[in-house]
Amino acid sequence: MVSKVLVANRGEIACRILRACSEAGLGSVAICASNDQGSLFTELADEVVLLKGDSIGETYLDQEQIIAAAHSTGADAIHPGFGFLSERADFARQVSANGLIWIGPSPEAIDQMGDKMTARQTMRAAGVPVIPGEEVEEDDVGKTLEALREAAKRVGYPLLLKASSGGGGKGMRAVHDPADFDQAASAAQREAIAAFGDGRIYIERLLTGSKHIEIQVLADRHGRTIHLGERECSVQRRHQKVFEEAPGPTMTPELRDAMGQAAVAAAQAVNYEGAGTVEFLLAASGEFFFLEMNTRIQVEHPVTELVTGVDIVREQLRIAGGDPMSCGDLMIRGHAIEVRLYAEDAANNFLPAIGPLAVFRPPEGPGIRLDTGVREGDDVTPNYDPMLAKLIVWAPSRVEALQKMRRALDEFVILGTTTNVEFLRDLCDAQPVIDGSTTTTTIDTLWPKGWNPPRDMTLEDASLLVAAGAETLGLHLQRGSASTEGGHGPESPFTTLHRRYP
Amino acid sequence: MQHTFASSEGPVEVTLARDGEVLHLSGFSLTQHDRGRLMVRLPDGGKCIAHATKVGDVWWVHLNGRTYRWERIEPGSSSAHDEGGLVAPMPGKVLDVLVREGQSVEAGAALMVLEAMKMEHRIVASTNGTVTHIHFKAGEQVAQGAVLLDLDESE
Repeated sequence: MVSKVLVANRGEIACRILRACSEAGLGSVAICASNDQGSLFTELADEVVLLKGDSIGETYLDQEQIIAAAHSTGADAIHPGFGFLSERADFARQVSANGLIWIGPSPEAIDQMGDKMTARQTMRAAGVPVIPGEEVEEDDVGKTLEALREAAKRVGYPLLLKASSGGGGKGMRAVHDPADFDQAASAAQREAIAAFGDGRIYIERLLTGSKHIEIQVLADRHGRTIHLGERECSVQRRHQKVFEEAPGPTMTPELRDAMGQAAVAAAQAVNYEGAGTVEFLLAASGEFFFLEMNTRIQVEHPVTELVTGVDIVREQLRIAGGDPMSCGDLMIRGHAIEVRLYAEDAANNFLPAIGPLAVFRPPEGPGIRLDTGVREGDDVTPNYDPMLAKLIVWAPSRVEALQKMRRALDEFVILGTTTNVEFLRDLCDAQPVIDGSTTTTTIDTLWPKGWNPPRDMTLEDASLLVAAGAETLGLHLQRGSASTEGGHGPESPFTTLHRRYP
Repeated sequence: MQHTFASSEGPVEVTLARDGEVLHLSGFSLTQHDRGRLMVRLPDGGKCIAHATKVGDVWWVHLNGRTYRWERIEPGSSSAHDEGGLVAPMPGKVLDVLVREGQSVEAGAALMVLEAMKMEHRIVASTNGTVTHIHFKAGEQVAQGAVLLDLDESE
């Protein structure tokens, strides 16, 4: 039985889990670093434990401190969310060894899937097809580059360098020309060591023009392992997903069955428990290959929730408590699309941006869901991932879902920090997105020299008039206005902007 | 009611006419709707709601799904801030310096590798030139806007 959950995460996903705990009638505990005090997620928890230390390593990655927080608050389970410690088998082990329930799969399953090189070998053994490529086992660091270079020759170009402990596009590099190999391999290794403390790299053939399709699986302790259908997440920039949908626009019932069965086989091969995602590349030929399994809740889980009616986080809580999952046979209804809103400059190579969220007004209306960890007045800082929110829409058909997403993005007002909202809006008008023929190279193909907002001189003139008019009318001086000028103007004593937490 | 804003094509001067609560500019008109929101009427008769907020000297304006930024130039101030230096786009850490002082580089050459938000960013030369000064070593933290290297274009 689970009665009180400590959420070992922050931001948007912490909010999602804390709300699920509240709905399930469970007690909840948030942990937060000092630079997160007052963040939205800390308000959604019954109790908050302030972590000592400054860096991420000293706070959200400090296993001892987190387990001590669970003990001191009487929490009996830990939900890791995604990122941070979610795929750390040693942490899962520590949690169990301290008499707490780990909301996730066994440490053995995490290990087998978390090390991407081991996972490829396990999947081959289970009869699940893997991408052609090579794992390089070289203990002598001085010889690694040489061994990788040799392996690259055998795999062939273009190829993809991946960190064995990798994820989220970190430690990953595409190489099209052998001349770029050494530089790319060194950069991938450096990034992998910095992000994961493990510089092992493996090589996969780069399958251009393929789709990224992933299958959500759920497994409980009562002998049931099921899949909840697919998500298509082909549209990526820098190997990070920005546009995800369910069902896949080109999916057929036969292919869904085949991929679903492969995903279930992958989960069963490691005695999986809880929620997980098996990622595949679907080649233009119709062949699919295992990419990796994410042994945690996934960023894009909401699209599956909207089309299947399954609350995946609630199922995680149920399964971890030893109960059978509550969902019945797979039923897919309508179409859901998610876009990821980042604080970044899409017109400048997607460079992360920071600043105040002086105005943050999400769209509303039927079929719209917003998963976010921020609200108006917060600051976007360089301390954490620049994802601000996930905007998810549901409609009876794909065409209507896309129409709804366009309307929702047009209504979304974020001022004070540069975001990718307009880029996402343009994406909704791109032909491959309309056709559903997106692949992992769609963004590069659509905008080979980078994206720039289309210019509309009438709107540009109108915006200039608004700026001049707002200055003339003194909008920034008005009480309660959403303006900020240092945040301490005597004219606006109740301004909620530019919060600075002690 | 004249205001000057900076743009990539140089300063733009805007002179508004006022008629009671309504502001006019060549076919456009503008009224305040409620706090932070304004009603814009376009020359073709269309209308839209705009959101506007000021952060520092910059007016951020949202209308019809587009966001614009207009930096207001205070009367009497000079807006010359082109130092020819290469600045840090984000706060972060210098991972690697790829050039030496005195080295000639071509436009587009990678000069420095920066880590920000756990991603690597390359600082590249904007023009052909000579690196005259390097302000940071590998491992050092840099603030946003810090000048990283000086590049002399006059070769």
